[in-house]
Amino acid sequence: MLSSELVIAIAIAYVGLLFLIAYVSDRRARRGKAGFLNSPFVYTLAISVYCTSWTFYGAVGSAARSGLEYLAIYLGPTIVFIGWWFILRRLVRISHNQRITSIADLLSARFGKSSRLAVLITIIAVIGIAPYIALQLKAVTSSIQAIAGVGEFPGRTLRGIDEVGLALAVAAGMALFTILFGTRNVDAKEQHLGVVAAIAFEAIVKLAALVATGIFVVYVGGGLQAIFSRAEAAGLDIYSIGTFDDRWIAMNVLSAAAILCLPRQFQITIVENSDENHLRTASWAFPGYLLLMSLFTLPIALFGLTSMPAGANPDMFVLTVPLASGQEGLALFSFIGGFSSATSMIIVESIALSIMVSNHIVMPLMLRFTQGRGIGRGQGVSSLLLNSRRFSIALILGLGFLYFYFTRNSNALAPIGLISFCGVAQFLPSIIAALFWREATLKAATAAVAVGFVVWAWSSFMPSFAGSSVVVADIMAHGPWGLTWLRPEALFGLAGIDPLVNVVFWSLFLNTATLVVVSLLTSPSALERVQAALFIDLFRPSTAGSPSVIRGSATARDLRFVAERVFGPARAYALFAGVPAVPPPQFIDRLERELAGSIGAASAHVMLSKVVSGDAISIEEVFEMAGETRQAIEYSQELERTSEELRSTAAQLESANLKLRELDGQKDEFLSQVSHEVRTPMASIRSFSEILLDDDLSDAQRRRFVSTIHQESLRLTKLLDEILDLSALERGERPWDNVRIDAEAALDRAIEVCAPLAQRRHMHIVVGPRAGSAIVEGDTDRLCQVLINLIVNAIKYNDADTPVVEVRSEVIDGSFVVEISDNGPGIPANEAQAIFDMFTRGEHGRSDATPGAGLGLAISRKIITRMSGALELVPRDTRGARFRVTLPAC
Amino acid sequence: MDRKLISAALFITVLGTLLLLPPLANVFQLQRRFLGVPAELIYLFACWVALVGAAFWLSRRLPHEPEAEPGSGDDG
Repeated sequence: MLSSELVIAIAIAYVGLLFLIAYVSDRRARRGKAGFLNSPFVYTLAISVYCTSWTFYGAVGSAARSGLEYLAIYLGPTIVFIGWWFILRRLVRISHNQRITSIADLLSARFGKSSRLAVLITIIAVIGIAPYIALQLKAVTSSIQAIAGVGEFPGRTLRGIDEVGLALAVAAGMALFTILFGTRNVDAKEQHLGVVAAIAFEAIVKLAALVATGIFVVYVGGGLQAIFSRAEAAGLDIYSIGTFDDRWIAMNVLSAAAILCLPRQFQITIVENSDENHLRTASWAFPGYLLLMSLFTLPIALFGLTSMPAGANPDMFVLTVPLASGQEGLALFSFIGGFSSATSMIIVESIALSIMVSNHIVMPLMLRFTQGRGIGRGQGVSSLLLNSRRFSIALILGLGFLYFYFTRNSNALAPIGLISFCGVAQFLPSIIAALFWREATLKAATAAVAVGFVVWAWSSFMPSFAGSSVVVADIMAHGPWGLTWLRPEALFGLAGIDPLVNVVFWSLFLNTATLVVVSLLTSPSALERVQAALFIDLFRPSTAGSPSVIRGSATARDLRFVAERVFGPARAYALFAGVPAVPPPQFIDRLERELAGSIGAASAHVMLSKVVSGDAISIEEVFEMAGETRQAIEYSQELERTSEELRSTAAQLESANLKLRELDGQKDEFLSQVSHEVRTPMASIRSFSEILLDDDLSDAQRRRFVSTIHQESLRLTKLLDEILDLSALERGERPWDNVRIDAEAALDRAIEVCAPLAQRRHMHIVVGPRAGSAIVEGDTDRLCQVLINLIVNAIKYNDADTPVVEVRSEVIDGSFVVEISDNGPGIPANEAQAIFDMFTRGEHGRSDATPGAGLGLAISRKIITRMSGALELVPRDTRGARFRVTLPAC
Repeated sequence: MDRKLISAALFITVLGTLLLLPPLANVFQLQRRFLGVPAELIYLFACWVALVGAAFWLSRRLPHEPEAEPGSGDDG
């Protein structure tokens, strides 16, 4: 009999070996000598982390209890990998493009980068995986007990340690091991080459151990035929009738979902993938691996059932059958194989979950509470990340242990695993929608996952506590508050079917239905649509698509107007030579291409469609602009890969591109506002001139209309002047040199200029305490312009009974400060920022005040900023507004 | 040719799914044994081996330029 000390010592030594493999592989990879570590076979073997102790021990138990059913767990993933071209390849490509780090990240990215969805997915994953972790703890615990000979003899304990104590020790050891293993450093791409290498090694160990045990069993049992015949003779005809029923379908669906949705599978298959072509190999090698793993399951189960004493735990046949034949060496190898399968699962699963927890829950909380302060760059963030990951790993194993503790009375391994499978399967509808359905919205995905989770928690998770909770047992039997139609295992009165089928059907049905219905009822945000396009049009050739012909009734004159702005008159003249008044679509196409050459395809398209249809920019157009940005980003990602040196260039390009787009967007907005502002005075000028053309008008009327026209054209001129000024400022034209000037003199001049206006309004400019003299760096005329603008505003919009404008200045802390206050209506707090935007005017003010264009403050702020100063609105308690100009004094 | 291969890949995936699920799988519940092994077990493993073989064959032929997917080719 193997002693428990020896078994535990061997397990620890084996863990040490794994650590060494991971360490050496990491070092090799860091020195750029990854070599075979980058081979598709290592990748495939790592994917085999799918085979946990559920496969190693549980499958035999499942085969012994319910026949061929265990195969469904491997056939689903087989189908998914055979069809790698359609789903897995997309996932890998998207994740590479978007730098996806987890399944929560993927769904959040697709649905408008929603952090709430990421949090939801993370929480569900952590809860959903707890049973799975518990399964591993249970398997390792039972295997130690079995091989040390205590499991089969109830009452005897391992040196006084019972099952729970042993499981706790295993959980703590695993947590420590995973922390040492997976959180030594933070990698931007979340790839862990060392871990992958160790997992691949474990995959070989567990396959070899299981196949060795299988061959041994077939040898001892006298060949396959003998084993099967003996089972048949013993009446163990468990595999013949009704295998392919609804439970078989449900399990196939679950396992196919699990291979995509389990956090660890997503981590290994998608995130750790370094080359898309590795999937090619995995597409047949992984199903092949699964096949080899399952080959001997049924013979071992049948041989165990016929040769072992009644009541022996079939989950442990892989260990107990060799032990019963006196093959301690083989049993030990088998134990190491089972231990491998458990450790690899726990390591990868908890690394994957800890990435999700730290990225989607801890970091955002941290950033929110510290508001970005305290978290410096570099060391601070990475140590915070590492610590939060260590904490998450402990938390995840702790939850696994708790689940184990509360459900320790249940026997079989496989049903526990199915609970987790069903939990994570709730992500499947959203993932499929993310890849293929453009109309799916964030609200829908969130609601769908939440609904699926609730059904799962009610009908699958909660029932597992029936053994330890009277309340749960009562709900199971009679439903909550006596509502029998809510009984977890016969939801909505669907009694008489298998509990697993019940929960799989209801959770996925309600999940999918919610996803579809809510998507149809809600509309996606712009960002969601952009992200949807990135996900769905993944493989679409970027520019080869035919240019969309802009239909409409644009005249050659309109188009020419646009073309002249872009190309200049000479080239526009050449381009438009011989074009009819209503140009054919082909010409518009050609013009768009020409324009695209100068200002980029998206801008060209937007510009032309605005001219042609006269509409505001539609979402589709924003879309296209985003598409271009995407191409730019993809392109720059290509660059990143080629060399370190190009990397910074690419980043700059990317940010420049973004900035350009932003500016472009602003310009569009600006243009449309300008047109609107110009149109109003133009409209009144036009209508008044039309009236003037009418003959029966008195002279007085005529004069009044002409004066209106005059006023409107003055307004128009002023507006255009301001626009020109602003655009010149923005483009950096008409530059001025900041020289040392006397700011007080500028202020004097401004007050002087404004005095007549104030007089006309029967107002008084109160000049408060003055700085006397202050030298600042700037331009006298420009500074004067700003101050005049502020004072005039204070006068113009002042509707008080005894209007007062107060001007004061001082030098504080090396800054020259001018404050201009009035007792007018003031500016509401919610408009305090907006008034500095273009074309924003205060809401209130004297009704007779001629409205300005709303550009004054925008221009003023630009000017002051260029003098390294600040122009701001100061909140005050009394009525009226106070503007403050601050300039650094020399 | 590429597009035919992709269609073939889709066909094999769908066919594999159908073969492993009822009602097709029920066809092989023959209540018969070959060398002691039940027919449906042999059937499942035979399907599995065939699928692995097909995937192996396809993996070497499916286009390496992912752009050549059907549907996208129509745009150009």
